[in-house]
Amino acid sequence: MTSARAVVGAILLSMGAACSSDSGTTNPPPPPPGDVVFVDSLPIPQNYGIHDQFIRDGLAFVCAWNSGVMIYDVGNGINGGTPANPQLVGQLVTTDTLQGQHIGARVHNAWWFHNPVTMEQKYLFIGQEGSGTIGASSSGDIHVVDVSDLTSPKEVALFRRAGAGTHNFWMNESKAILYAAYYNGGVVAIDVSGTLSGDISSRMIDTLSFGAGDTYTWGVQLYNGSLYAMDMVSGFWQLNTANGALSVAAVGNNVPERFGSDLWVTNGYAYTGTWGGFPRNGVSGNALKVWQLGAAGAPTLVDSIVTTGITTVSDVEVSDDNKLLMFSAENGPNSGFWFYRLTDPAHPTLAGKYLVSGTTNGIHTATFSRINGKLYAFGARDPSGAALIILDVTSLDQ
Amino acid sequence: MCLPGRAVAQRVTAEWGVQAIPAFTETNVVPGGRSLGELRVVQPAVMLHAAAFGDRLRLIGTVDFEKYTIPHGELSPGSWGESFEDRRHPHTLVHELMLVGGGRRLFAAAGKGFVPFGTDDPMSRPTVRFPVNHHLSQILERAVILAGVRLGLVLLEGALFNGDEPVSPGSWPAWDRFGDSWSTRLTVTPLEGLEVQGSYAWVNSPEDRGGAAPADRKASAAARWERGRWYGEVEWARTATADGAFIFHSVLAEGAVTLGKNRPYVRLERSDRPEEERLFSSRFRTRRPLFDNSILGITRWTVLTAGDALDLKWGRLRTTPFVEASWIGIARVGGGVFDPQVFFGRTRGVALTLGVRLATGMRMPRMGRYGGWPSEATGRMDMPMHAGAEE
Repeated sequence: MTSARAVVGAILLSMGAACSSDSGTTNPPPPPPGDVVFVDSLPIPQNYGIHDQFIRDGLAFVCAWNSGVMIYDVGNGINGGTPANPQLVGQLVTTDTLQGQHIGARVHNAWWFHNPVTMEQKYLFIGQEGSGTIGASSSGDIHVVDVSDLTSPKEVALFRRAGAGTHNFWMNESKAILYAAYYNGGVVAIDVSGTLSGDISSRMIDTLSFGAGDTYTWGVQLYNGSLYAMDMVSGFWQLNTANGALSVAAVGNNVPERFGSDLWVTNGYAYTGTWGGFPRNGVSGNALKVWQLGAAGAPTLVDSIVTTGITTVSDVEVSDDNKLLMFSAENGPNSGFWFYRLTDPAHPTLAGKYLVSGTTNGIHTATFSRINGKLYAFGARDPSGAALIILDVTSLDQ
Repeated sequence: MCLPGRAVAQRVTAEWGVQAIPAFTETNVVPGGRSLGELRVVQPAVMLHAAAFGDRLRLIGTVDFEKYTIPHGELSPGSWGESFEDRRHPHTLVHELMLVGGGRRLFAAAGKGFVPFGTDDPMSRPTVRFPVNHHLSQILERAVILAGVRLGLVLLEGALFNGDEPVSPGSWPAWDRFGDSWSTRLTVTPLEGLEVQGSYAWVNSPEDRGGAAPADRKASAAARWERGRWYGEVEWARTATADGAFIFHSVLAEGAVTLGKNRPYVRLERSDRPEEERLFSSRFRTRRPLFDNSILGITRWTVLTAGDALDLKWGRLRTTPFVEASWIGIARVGGGVFDPQVFFGRTRGVALTLGVRLATGMRMPRMGRYGGWPSEATGRMDMPMHAGAEE
């Protein structure tokens, strides 16, 4: 069977297929690609453009850099929007200064907090990405926006960490704890319970670094009681978190050949991306790593998917039914959305792709959302030609 | 109407000139750790300087054809800017089109051209290879309105312009951004032949035409000597980007002397540059606009260049063959993932250029200054790259 797989893999490679493996394992032959249906391309102001999108309850919080956060109805009904016809509900340009210096709002990412205890849906957390040197320094605050009135959002609070800038978020909503990757600052846990107002920097519960020179953390995710962190330099970590107190459960340092990027953890597996803005050891960031989680949650690498014609796997996500894996890819002719079936979650198989070409650099972030029974993929197309790309991938989700 | 040299039609004077430099460059400082040699025609330009009303109204135009001769840039280790790295970017087709009015004491200018900041454009200096600090020490190809006032030995200039740098050799400034950036330059000439300048500029979002990139705060100081056979310049420049998140320094010294038909020259510089993500399609290109406004690190380039030019003349054609060699050292400054040893396969290297400067008509004037105007004509100024042979 192994040799048969190798033969099929060789044939696919010779045909120019973009999927291969770099870990000695070989993927099963991919099924015929399903249909990726283009739904819409929503232009975003070229004020840098779009960086990320947070979709919840049929609302898309578009992180539009210096144009701020733009709230679109993409199926909620509040403004008659659909995925094919998004309708703007509200917009806010958050504070455009950092430590007194005018840098622009630089709205990078967002999380709309649904508090299951108070049932409030009041706060939107926004990450501001300031300037930085990859692997060494970063800047940018967390801005708290009151979205009680979605048509008129208001900034109400700010979290700042000296010497580091924020990146991607995850939340323990029932405990009202916001976890933020903080690049050279590692991981931060913040108490966001109660009313948020003014400077909330004192609400930091704990922080954890992976060591000087080894810390540049891209993203975090809670899963099954652990907080998982993907660090660009030191790899994939499992952390303990008890009410926000952070400690190492399983050491990283497990992706030495490439720089790490995003992560998604689900169903006993984790999927992590790699970044290739600069080739580490001469190796591009074109790999998606597949990890199996042990009984205690520690990750073990079980497979990799290498995509030719890209240099970065910039965002990773799995659909809510754990059937479909998606990653976004940048910088190269195969940049765009890539979809893999998780029939065998340890060995994803190619299901489809949607490539973007022309002047754009690719898709920087990609997010699933199920709206009116259909599974959609939303993606941030890089400038120039910045846009929110919306795809119907329901047929792939089998 | 135009003849090589000066054409005079009643009260209108005009000069024009043409130049091109076929040059072969070989270097072992190349992305991927290899050697590369290329023959290209660089700095092809047609210049027109016209004046009227007793030189009180002047038109200065330069058309640069690098859009056609080096669309992918000139092989030039350390060069950077306008999405090119280790290749010097082609200049825009309409390199300079300025209308200058006034006299020696008070003048104003408007059009597309040089901002009063820093030192002369490298095209009008002895060394053919551009210095690493081009984007630290000059601001050019902008929509600019400037004014200057001269009091005795002191010249003060100020300008408003658009911060966005060209996005392609065919591009024009983003007109809606005119006035979002400014500069000022103070020049003192205490002795004949000696010129000292200090300048400052605030440049809004130079690397994002839409205006979303950080601003640059630029400073420059220089002393320039040109008299008789000798030319020399020392300069310092500093650019702070994103309110000091990134700071780039440069120091440079260069000199030349005319020895008969020979013009030996030397330049030593140490300049910082940002390292940015290279494109999949070309490791000589970077993303624009700069992604996330983040960089991969800063490298410091130490470049020692020495060369010799021989000024010959065939009829109206000035023919100046030259050879120049550079020793190049690359070091990391601060942190970041960029490692020149990994990227170039080395941290020290060399570059060699053989070429010939072909020119006719007016000589290349000092580029970057609209206030220094010879009283007798339009634009006739001896330039340090020229040997002693006269028409």
